[in-house]
Amino acid sequence: MLELFIAQLKWSSIQYRRYASEAIGGVIALTATFYGLFLSASYIGGGGVQFGDRLDSVIVGYVLWSLVIFIMGGIPGTLQREAQVGTLEQLFISPFNATQILLFRAIGDLIIQTFLISIVLFVIMLTTGRWLSFSPALILPFISVVLGAYGIAFAAGGLALIFKSIQQLLGIFNFALLFLLTIPTESWSGTQKLLGWILPMTTGAGLLRDLMARSQSLNLSLLGLALANGLIYFAIGITLFRWAERETKRRGKLAGY
Amino acid sequence: MHVLEVQSLQKSYRSSGKVVEAVRDVSFSISAQEVLAFLGPNGAGKTTTIKMIAGLIVPDRGSVDIAGRDPHRNSRALRSLGAVLEGNRNIYWRLTPEENLEYFGVLRGLSGRVARQRARGLLDRFELSHKRKTTVQTLSRGMQQKLAIAVALIHEPQLLLLDEPTLGLDVEATQTVKQLVREIAQEGRAILLTTHQLDLAEELSDRVAIINKGKIVAQENTADLIRQFSGMVYQIELEEEINRSFLEVLGRERVANLQSLGAILDGDRIYVRETELLYQALEILNPLAIARIEKDQANLTDIFLKFIREEHHA
Repeated sequence: MLELFIAQLKWSSIQYRRYASEAIGGVIALTATFYGLFLSASYIGGGGVQFGDRLDSVIVGYVLWSLVIFIMGGIPGTLQREAQVGTLEQLFISPFNATQILLFRAIGDLIIQTFLISIVLFVIMLTTGRWLSFSPALILPFISVVLGAYGIAFAAGGLALIFKSIQQLLGIFNFALLFLLTIPTESWSGTQKLLGWILPMTTGAGLLRDLMARSQSLNLSLLGLALANGLIYFAIGITLFRWAERETKRRGKLAGY
Repeated sequence: MHVLEVQSLQKSYRSSGKVVEAVRDVSFSISAQEVLAFLGPNGAGKTTTIKMIAGLIVPDRGSVDIAGRDPHRNSRALRSLGAVLEGNRNIYWRLTPEENLEYFGVLRGLSGRVARQRARGLLDRFELSHKRKTTVQTLSRGMQQKLAIAVALIHEPQLLLLDEPTLGLDVEATQTVKQLVREIAQEGRAILLTTHQLDLAEELSDRVAIINKGKIVAQENTADLIRQFSGMVYQIELEEEINRSFLEVLGRERVANLQSLGAILDGDRIYVRETELLYQALEILNPLAIARIEKDQANLTDIFLKFIREEHHA
C-alpha cells in the first residue's frame, strides 16, 4: 500500500517536473490571483467564496475553493487522459483495485498542488511583507471538506466511465460547488439546519467560516458532524464508482472514449 | 499443468436494439512454455476474449482460470498476468523506460526495490539500457513495443497476452519481437498471441485456435494442422533447356510412362501423388537434370482462409 502511494507520488512529481511549462501556466495564474488578493484583501478571483474581509480568511477561502475544484475534476480527468494516451486498461490489470490506484494518484496530485500553492504564497508574503497566520484548528474542517470533494470526484469518475464525456456536467458541478461552499448553513435553523448537515461539504465550509471570519473557537460536535458528512460522501462516491466500474466492464466499454 | 483455462466463455452486447453475440462458447487452455496463436478476422471476438481473460470485460457466462485463480473474483489472479493490448500505447510516453518499468512494477504488486532491480535486468535484456533515461515518446516504434513487452514482464507473470505485438513494426523490429516471444515462452511462460501476420503465427505457435463470428472453428497443434491440410502431392521441376520445349526435353515415351503413373504434366512441372510413385517417376526421368522436388505444403494463411470462407458460406 505504502509502496503504491510512494510510486503514485513519484509518478505525479515526474509529470510536473518534466512538463514544467504546463505547470508554470498554473503557477502564473495562481500567483496573479494571490497577488490580486494581497493587493485588495476583499477581492476574490471570479466572485468566489466570501469568507470575510480579513486577508487570511480570503486566502483560505480561495485555496479551499481552488483545491476542491482541482480534486473534483481529478478523477474523471485522470480516467479521460489515461484512455486518450492508451494506458487506462493497464491500470485496471492490477492486483490493486482501480479505486485505490486513482485515490493515491489524486492524493499525490493534491500534495503537489498544495506544495505549489504554499511556495507561491510564501514568495508573495516575502515580497509584500504581509504575513498571514493560520490556526492549525483549520486543518480538521478542511479535511472534512476534502473528503466530501473526493466522494464527489469518484462519483464524477463513475459517470465518466459510464458516459465517457462529462465535461459539461463538470461545469455544472463547479457551479453547484459555489453554492455548497458559500451557502451559510451555519445560520440556518430547524429542518433547514438538518438539510445543511446533509448537503456535501457545507458543514465543513461553515466551520471554516466560523473559525476564520467570525473568530469563533472550534465547535467539536459540529466538527464531528462535518467529518461524518465527509466520510459518508466519500463512501457514497467510492460505492458509486465501483458500481460504475462493474457496469462498464459488463458493457465492455472500459477503454472506449 | 495449464496456466490458462478458458471454459465456455460467452458475451453478448446490445447494439442499436439488437443483441450481438460477440463470443460464443469459447474454450481453450494454454500450458507453460506454450504459444497459442489466437487467430480470426477483424470483429471475430479475439479482443473481447482477451479482455475477458484480463478481467477487463465481465463474461455473461463461462469462466477464466489463470494459474488456479479467477481474475473476475480474485484480483490476485492478475499477479500472474501480463498484457500488451492492441490499439493501446500500454506505457507512458512522458516517462522514461526506467520510470515506466518501476511504476508498473509497483502497480503489479512488487516492492519499489524489487521493481528497480528487475527494471535494470529487463533494460539490459531488451537492449534498452542506453535509452533508459530517454522519454518514451522519442524512442522508435520498435523500442516502444519492446518496452511494452518488458513492462508486461516486470512482475514475471506466468501468462502473457500479446495482442498484435508486431502491428506497425518494420521488418527488423518484427524479427526482434519474434525472437523475444520465443525466449519468453522458453522461460516457461504461457503466451496467447493474436496477430494478422499468419506467417508469424505459423513460425511462433505451438497450437492454433481460429475464431470466427465469436466461435472457435478450429483448434489444433500448429504442425498437425498444417500437415492435415498439406496434400501428398510432389512437384518436380526440371532444369530448363534453352530452345527446347518441355515435351521435347521429356520425349514421347517418358510422357506416356509418366501419365501411366497418374502424374500430371502442367506447364513445365510434373505432379505426382504419393511417395512410392515419386521414385518411379524419378526413374522414368533419369538422367534428366532436376532443378527442384517439393512436397505441396499448406500454410497457415491457406488454412485460415479455408476455415473463414467455409464459415462464410455455411
